[in-house]
Amino acid sequence: MAEIENGAFGDNDPATFEVVKNSLYSMAAEMRVVLSKTAYSPILKSAGDFSCGIFDVRGDMVAQGPDLPMHLGSMPLAVKAVIKAWEDIEPGDVFIHNDPYFGGSHLPDVNVVTPAFADDQSLLGFACLRAHWPDVGGGTPGSYGTETEIFGEGLRLPPVRLYRRGEPIREVEDIIFANIRTPEEGRGNLRAQVAANHRAVTRLEALARRYGTDRLMRIMQGIMDYSESMMRRALSALPDGEGSFEDFCDGDGILEPGETEDAPFTIKLHVKKEGDRLAVDFAGTDPVVRGPMNSPLAVTASGVFTAVKTVADSDALIPPNSGCWRPISVVAEPGTVVNATLPAPVVYANHEIAHRVCDMVYMAMSGFAPDNVMACSQGTSAILTMGGVDRRNGNRYVNYEVVKGGFGARPNKDGINAIAASVANTANTPVEVVEMGFPLRVERYELIPDSGGAGEYRGGLAARRVWKILDHTAQATVCCERSKSPPFGLFEGQAGAPAKIYVIEADGTRRDLNSKEHFLAAEGSEIWYEVPGSGGFGPPARRDPDKVKADVRDGYVSIEAAKRDYGLDL
Amino acid sequence: MSWRIGVDIGGTFTDVAVVDETSGQIDVVKTSTTPQNFAAGVIEALRTAMQRHDVPPSDVTLLSHATTVVTNAILEQKGAKTALITTRGFRDVLELRRSARARLYDRNQEPPAVLVPRHRRFEITERIGSEGQVVTPLEEGEIQAIVEQIVQNDIEAVAVCLLFSFLNDQHERRIGERLSEALPDVPVFLSADVLPELKEFERTSTTAICAYVGPILASYVERLEKATRELELPPLHIMGSSGGVLDVAESLKMPAMAVESGPAAGVIAAAFIGRQLDEPNLISFDMGGTTAKASLIKDGRVEVTSEYEVGADANVVRWMHGTGHPIKVPVIDLAEVSAGGGSIAWIDPGGVMHVGPQSAGAEPGPVCYGRGGQEPTVTDCDLILGYLDPDYFLGGELEVDITAAEAAIRDKIAGPLGLSVQRAAASVIEVVDHNMAEVLRIVSVERGHDPREFSLVAFGGAGPVHAASMAAELDIPRVIIPPIPGGFSALGLVATDLRREYVRTFYQRLDEASHAELSTAYAAMEGAGMGMLVDAGVPEAKRKLQRAADIRYTQQAYELTVPVGDGEIGDGHLVELAEAFHARHLATYGHHSADEPLQLVNIRVSAIGTLGSLGLKPTAVAEHAAGFAPWKRREVYFKEVGAIQCDIVARAGLHGQAELAGPVIIEAADTTVVVPPEWVARSDPRGFLVMERSADG
Repeated sequence: MAEIENGAFGDNDPATFEVVKNSLYSMAAEMRVVLSKTAYSPILKSAGDFSCGIFDVRGDMVAQGPDLPMHLGSMPLAVKAVIKAWEDIEPGDVFIHNDPYFGGSHLPDVNVVTPAFADDQSLLGFACLRAHWPDVGGGTPGSYGTETEIFGEGLRLPPVRLYRRGEPIREVEDIIFANIRTPEEGRGNLRAQVAANHRAVTRLEALARRYGTDRLMRIMQGIMDYSESMMRRALSALPDGEGSFEDFCDGDGILEPGETEDAPFTIKLHVKKEGDRLAVDFAGTDPVVRGPMNSPLAVTASGVFTAVKTVADSDALIPPNSGCWRPISVVAEPGTVVNATLPAPVVYANHEIAHRVCDMVYMAMSGFAPDNVMACSQGTSAILTMGGVDRRNGNRYVNYEVVKGGFGARPNKDGINAIAASVANTANTPVEVVEMGFPLRVERYELIPDSGGAGEYRGGLAARRVWKILDHTAQATVCCERSKSPPFGLFEGQAGAPAKIYVIEADGTRRDLNSKEHFLAAEGSEIWYEVPGSGGFGPPARRDPDKVKADVRDGYVSIEAAKRDYGLDL
Repeated sequence: MSWRIGVDIGGTFTDVAVVDETSGQIDVVKTSTTPQNFAAGVIEALRTAMQRHDVPPSDVTLLSHATTVVTNAILEQKGAKTALITTRGFRDVLELRRSARARLYDRNQEPPAVLVPRHRRFEITERIGSEGQVVTPLEEGEIQAIVEQIVQNDIEAVAVCLLFSFLNDQHERRIGERLSEALPDVPVFLSADVLPELKEFERTSTTAICAYVGPILASYVERLEKATRELELPPLHIMGSSGGVLDVAESLKMPAMAVESGPAAGVIAAAFIGRQLDEPNLISFDMGGTTAKASLIKDGRVEVTSEYEVGADANVVRWMHGTGHPIKVPVIDLAEVSAGGGSIAWIDPGGVMHVGPQSAGAEPGPVCYGRGGQEPTVTDCDLILGYLDPDYFLGGELEVDITAAEAAIRDKIAGPLGLSVQRAAASVIEVVDHNMAEVLRIVSVERGHDPREFSLVAFGGAGPVHAASMAAELDIPRVIIPPIPGGFSALGLVATDLRREYVRTFYQRLDEASHAELSTAYAAMEGAGMGMLVDAGVPEAKRKLQRAADIRYTQQAYELTVPVGDGEIGDGHLVELAEAFHARHLATYGHHSADEPLQLVNIRVSAIGTLGSLGLKPTAVAEHAAGFAPWKRREVYFKEVGAIQCDIVARAGLHGQAELAGPVIIEAADTTVVVPPEWVARSDPRGFLVMERSADG
């Protein structure tokens, strides 16, 4: 066991290693507390669309908070971008940036990076908090428009200094807040991000005082080495094998001249697992599309990492950090939808492509690791933004909401109804909070019967939310994949229901929407948002009839579907 | 003579605190808990305690009880068959929850439990809008069909939670009336009564929990009351989660308030100790077999939160919830970690050692218990390092096998890591102490308090073993070990007040809030509180009402609670309120924004019936330690100095104001106090031990 002593611990005893590791993860969790409790936007304070991390001097992630898997792959790039851009990093500095072509994910995700220093002024590492702002300018409220270049998607901030010697730099703040629709909200969010980083940096500095800078830095490296060795062990425990999968996305949100329907595009991937390594190759995937469904490679990688962690480390023994991903390679041709290049627009791809890739990896691995995968989940972050002027107070508002679909069925149990899955873990906004804040009324928020794919183990059901527009015309945007490509089942399990999005006008006429569309919703109209369910696992005929009966009693499955899918006459 | 009696049920023991109000003498009598019939066990414990101290029932002035039946019913999913009535279109609010999952990468995770299955959730046509206006009138014709369903399904309790009922409760009340007429024997809980507060899922969950546990609590207290009446004891009181007791009638109106009543009692006991020692700033630390809990007391006041989940994932130290059932009643703000004497030490495949969260619990328990436990635990390490006495374990009641404990550490930890058994055991203790120190950090540093300004009150069987080391982690200068730390929580049951919290949403911007409406709203809540105190027989001079308000910056989601002055609301009140909020926000989160508008969200009133203070004068400690040898020495390991021959002192032998410099071990039947090098312990005639870091330490 000498290798352990020389590996993860180095010259450190096992208790110190564990204590420092737990402290670093607890710092990231404490950042989460400060951010959620003091941020201004519902997407941060209620939905939790942000990630916190602690990084070493090179920008590698040592500890990721219990936040969004979606940010696993790209957070380190956010810190590395700062290190690359600025040589003169000093105590009291805070940096900000959001550009996916400079280590970001999409423009609404704003990274705040704060360095930590030892008493002798040597750099210890960084805290980084990536938070989704409800608006960063651009053509539509919420910065979720179907633009064709990143220049239209909102304010692009390369890594710039936001604070010097502990004082905010007004010029930078003024540029930022002149470019977004809800500057006061933005200021509140930014204050919360800076304060959360400050908490973590203070704690990291105290840790250096207690254990010594050199020892702390060695342990930080040791933690990443430890995650790497744990990941290698977990991968070795899986059967070797390879598999491919090809799937199509609904479209990029742009109707080309002459098109009546958004054209789908294709993603291909090949997974090869050999020994303690895993490689994913996206050869054959379509080139970048005109609309914002292009994913930076780091975002694509996040989808792969989430799948691998779920497949190989379901019990969460491996602390998430940069070390985990060393045994995994992700290869994709630049200029494709999974490796976007400037000036391709990206805003939807950040979650939609990451979701898609994660589910596709399960399917590709199902041939050689059938006990470790799950059927396809909702496959989308199912976003709706609404904006306009609230006539009650004359203020401009932006409401950003997510609706959750199914969590896919597993080899030994049903899926889960209406809960965040794969790369996402954001929460809903309470109906009463929506209505008190915005000129909207929620008419329904409920499960959709029969939306879970039939199977020996049934897929989880999706939710439906319906908003009525009150006393104004709302500018709205939807972004919800899997309206044409329903969430697949595995091993003869059936697919879950696809998404359906439509507007019912005040006069009762129905207008169907594309999976990605910017539209106007008039006063008195209703937006119906039915998000995708999830796939079943195993043949429906093998399902225990008592479970089908219980599902019918609870209305999860209709009497008709019980007959059609399970052959059960009730 | 007059006596107060408190009964606290734990998993293994039922503790009865008996206090003579006049002399201040206290004792805690321990009996075994009887899980098959809790009520019978409680009665037996009462009889034993009263016999031992010759307490005539007519001399008992307060009988209070901390119960686990409510929490157990929820955890074991053995509550009443409950129905839920919701606004049409919102049948699934309880199941849709907040839609985030608790475990990010766990493909085998279970769905969060739902207390009311979908076929017992009924919709009714009606709608109240966000300004309290009726958007769709209540379709009363639909009630009859629901009544029939309730009868057909043998439903035992009903929860009603309609959207925006906290602004306009007329529809909920009408449904309540109709159900009570039609089904007089089925208890009905309205969300407007239980929690008139914004956010439909949390309100629905709280109301559903009340219905789910109400019938169980009712039948339990009915049995208890019958027996206590036969014993001619005074009326029973139930400890509430916010640290005050309620009379039985009040507790049945709000059964969710009886969750966490045992842990709440422990914190109240710590506050009581603080009053005795004139120490207003305390962190309480309760370490048992499977969990460690901390809470903060500032200026003598316990901190209360309304973000609590029953049955949330035990691994989750922080507020990333999602596995349990939220109840938004005021609960004493406890941070909890899965770490205790039973926590198992293990090495993962990558060769790194961890402690917990798995616990050997009471069965099979630590390896040294010899009941089949194979995995080395914290208690095994405490024994190996010499902190616990192999010849006087649990006061000599348990014979322990130290050889087996050493073998387990050698095989599972020391061998694989290439360490000596002693070093391995010390490493386990260092890790678990750090994990537990995290909860002290959460209630102090994370909430904006400097731990150096607090004293640590350590209790629970294992608390005093680990207290000094944890205090050192956070630079807490002083540790207080109360008399009878093993049955300490029961003391909180008799050292408290009658207390009920009222809350309602009052959603106005602070600078635009109507003084008249605010005064009226407070007056209504104060009227309800005063009515409760009168009904409970609290004499006029002992009735007290306290106001508070939940406030945030207009665009935030989480509030901070700030006290509000008495009398008609005027500008002065609101200015004071704003200043207090900004200051608290800065202290808690490290930033504030003095010129931004504030949002009033909820207003609160606490109705308090003071029960008079107690003065402590324990004499019972000696009795427990009868037959214990006063002095000995054994090898004890301290991380500062390594293994040394260490003095062992009997706590019972410490009369008056003794002073002992560490390293020294102080033993009593119910606990062991470890005084490390560089610490000094002083005893107090009332039975306290106070440890401080010595000046040169």
